[in-house]
Amino acid sequence: MSISAMPPCQAACPIHTDVRGYVFAIAVGDVEDAIKIIRQVNPFPSVCGRICTRPCEKKCRRGQVDEPVSIRALKRFAADQIKELVFAGKPVQNRPEKIAIIGSGPAGLTAAHDLAILGYKVTVFEAQKVLGGMLSEGIPEYRLPKDLVKAEIDRIIALGVEPRTGVLLGKDITIEGLLKDFQAVFIAVGSQKSIVPKCHGSDLKGIISGVEFLKQVSRKQIPNLGKKVAVIGGGHTALDAARTCIRLGCDEVTVLYRRTLEEMPAGKEEVEEAEKEGIKLRYLSAPVSFSGNGKVTRARFVQMQLGEPDASGRRRPVPIENSEFDIEADSVILAIGYTPDSGLLEESGLELKRNGTLSVKDETGITNIAGVFAAGDVVSGPQSVIEAIASGRRVAEAIHCFFRNKSPKEKAGIIALEPLDESITNLISKAERQKMFSLPAEDRIRHFEEIDLGFSKEQALKEAQRCLNCGAGAHIGENCASCLNCVRICPYDVPSPGKELVAVDINRCQACGICASECPASAITLGIDTMQDSRAEIDKIVDKARQESPEILILGFYCRYRSPLGPPLDRDEVYWIGKCCTGRIDTADLLYPFEFGVDGAVVHICEKDACRHREGNKYLRKHVKEAKKILDITGFNAGRLTVITDEEDISGFINTFDELGINPLRKGKKVKL
Amino acid sequence: MIIAELKPFQEIKDMLKDYRKILILGCGACVTVCMSGGEKQVELLALAIRMARKLEGNDISVIEQTLLRQCDPGFIDRIKDEASQVEAVLSMGCGAGVQGIVEKLDNMPVLPALNTRFIGIADREGNFSEKCMACGNCILAKTGGICPVSRCAKSLVNGPCGGAQGGLCEASKDNPCVWQLIYARLEKLNMLHLLKEMSNTRIWPVHPQKLAMEEAGSIKE
Repeated sequence: MSISAMPPCQAACPIHTDVRGYVFAIAVGDVEDAIKIIRQVNPFPSVCGRICTRPCEKKCRRGQVDEPVSIRALKRFAADQIKELVFAGKPVQNRPEKIAIIGSGPAGLTAAHDLAILGYKVTVFEAQKVLGGMLSEGIPEYRLPKDLVKAEIDRIIALGVEPRTGVLLGKDITIEGLLKDFQAVFIAVGSQKSIVPKCHGSDLKGIISGVEFLKQVSRKQIPNLGKKVAVIGGGHTALDAARTCIRLGCDEVTVLYRRTLEEMPAGKEEVEEAEKEGIKLRYLSAPVSFSGNGKVTRARFVQMQLGEPDASGRRRPVPIENSEFDIEADSVILAIGYTPDSGLLEESGLELKRNGTLSVKDETGITNIAGVFAAGDVVSGPQSVIEAIASGRRVAEAIHCFFRNKSPKEKAGIIALEPLDESITNLISKAERQKMFSLPAEDRIRHFEEIDLGFSKEQALKEAQRCLNCGAGAHIGENCASCLNCVRICPYDVPSPGKELVAVDINRCQACGICASECPASAITLGIDTMQDSRAEIDKIVDKARQESPEILILGFYCRYRSPLGPPLDRDEVYWIGKCCTGRIDTADLLYPFEFGVDGAVVHICEKDACRHREGNKYLRKHVKEAKKILDITGFNAGRLTVITDEEDISGFINTFDELGINPLRKGKKVKL
Repeated sequence: MIIAELKPFQEIKDMLKDYRKILILGCGACVTVCMSGGEKQVELLALAIRMARKLEGNDISVIEQTLLRQCDPGFIDRIKDEASQVEAVLSMGCGAGVQGIVEKLDNMPVLPALNTRFIGIADREGNFSEKCMACGNCILAKTGGICPVSRCAKSLVNGPCGGAQGGLCEASKDNPCVWQLIYARLEKLNMLHLLKEMSNTRIWPVHPQKLAMEEAGSIKE
């Protein structure tokens, strides 16, 4: 089924990951499928599962009901569960062209990954000794363990990418030189040069850039910070640096930011965690000067207030007159911003912008030199890892097109499903967002071990099932008879009589599936958990049962939302099939197994009013009634089918088979179905 | 639309007892809407028939198909292939639909799976009521848009019989007296004078009826 509008999460993701797809896969326990979906577009699931800025969650429509689905944590869960390379994406063919990629951060390595899969010979040049750029050296271990980064990089290298570390652009290699051996060069050197505030004394000893500091720590070259540290900035690097200082044993770490928490790029959650660790935050504080005798001992700030919005849409901080204040500092860490190291690119002949970033034609990363491409932070200035991955993907495609003389695919405008209207959100049952377990603050500040412990399987399944499956709902086919049955029964009032057929607004549909199970024309197809899925599942179970030859074979249907962890009851006789709401089980689903020799069928249904889709159990009961009638008239006995809730014990049902006996179709062939 | 319902299962089983290969043919029009002969019902009936026959040790193979409309022979060519593989067709169309199929399949028994009940409308999910008897002489303009031919137990066309009690029909207490409804509606519309002018006569058509559009006929010539 093709739907032109993307779920908001997928539309918001810079690489348009099929979020709904992998979240659903986790929801039904197929984690391997989840990781396959993720890896189709993203070679860094472990990384993104931890440090992605998650634009998806900001748009998640579950957030309109209670809180967004914890998408990032689910990605992490999938990545943590499936470590081996299940989706290798082996090169389909070998192509002759050679490509040099300068910089092994997420942009460079993503392009390397995509180009290697396309069959190109890729060499990645990295100035440092380790691959990964900021991933390996710029993000502390407690947020992103290095072994995980390495494992993901190793998978990329395993595709046949040649890594060359310790090679510096401008010194060991030049673009001109590379173009002699390589048919394309991709510059992805990032944006790592610290912006130094124009303050008196900023060249004093003891003042260090945030990225430089984090790199040193990650190389175990720990600088002597003293007891009191002032960190200036409001981004992730500032917070990372501050929290690293605490772990290194500094007594007093203060983060000073010129705007307020609202505008802070690091985000509230991270600030809260930092505060738990004992870090102080001072907002509306901008540096004025640093002083000390050869080494910094004191920093002067001025109090700010927020004025009119600036180009970024955030309110511009304006100094308040005569509001200067001093703080004592043994070290100052500057994390106010980064620019590309233009020194690397001087004399390369590449066009630079005034802010030091590289000038490119557009998203394809085409530069003023033929065959040379650039993208990632070196073009955009510091961005998130997912943006870097996205730019790497786009350049890989552009390079491929460049070699094959194709024009890059026209990017069709992404149409996202709109936010839900209140008439729907009011009808959606609330479900609490799962919280990841994490180490307590007093414990975690003593070491660099990862703070967040990830979801348990139970949490992951529950969390994934909070997904509203936006856009995976009912699709009306052309054999619709316009009977308006769906209009009458939809618990969310979504279908409406259209000009010819009935119209289902896919934007509003909650994918409960009740209409499909009720449609007399079988004209409704569903985006998830379809009728065909049910039948295939039944076939699989009957096959399995044939091998296991149980005395009594009972097929059990259960609601995944009610029993997220799997079958609600553990009985040898019962083979379970999970459904996303039992209301989507149609009468034929219930009868079909009997034709293949199943002895009984049972549906574990939700309590009244507990149904995720409000009325699912009502329709299930109707379908059971109808199926029981058919079991009777065909001579199978209606007693072979029943619904159970918690109160009723399935044992009672199983005991009735003493009298009912096995399915009459397999009489005489007791264990053979 | 035409409202129909599934025949008793035993009757269907008996009709099919001599056949081992059948085609169950649904209809995508009225009987889909009234939930008696659409694709979903075809699937269920096929399942039931196969199950019952398996149980008797007399397997039957069932092909399932649904036409957009059985009452137009134009659609029937679509199932000619399937029909050639079976011994009988079980039509889930209305009486007209069954005969539409009969006209095109001259060597094949075509059996009805439904009892065609009436022309009616949907009241709510799965509930239908009779509104028209195809009398051939519509008097709705005089009766406030409410049909006494189909909705009066006696089909009286010139006023009530007088047997109604508390607004309910003497023949069936489940139904309102349609003449009472007509009166109430005309009163609401301020058109009670219509009752005075009323002199409806029921015209009994001669069967089978035919209808030929004059203009269409001339095109064909």
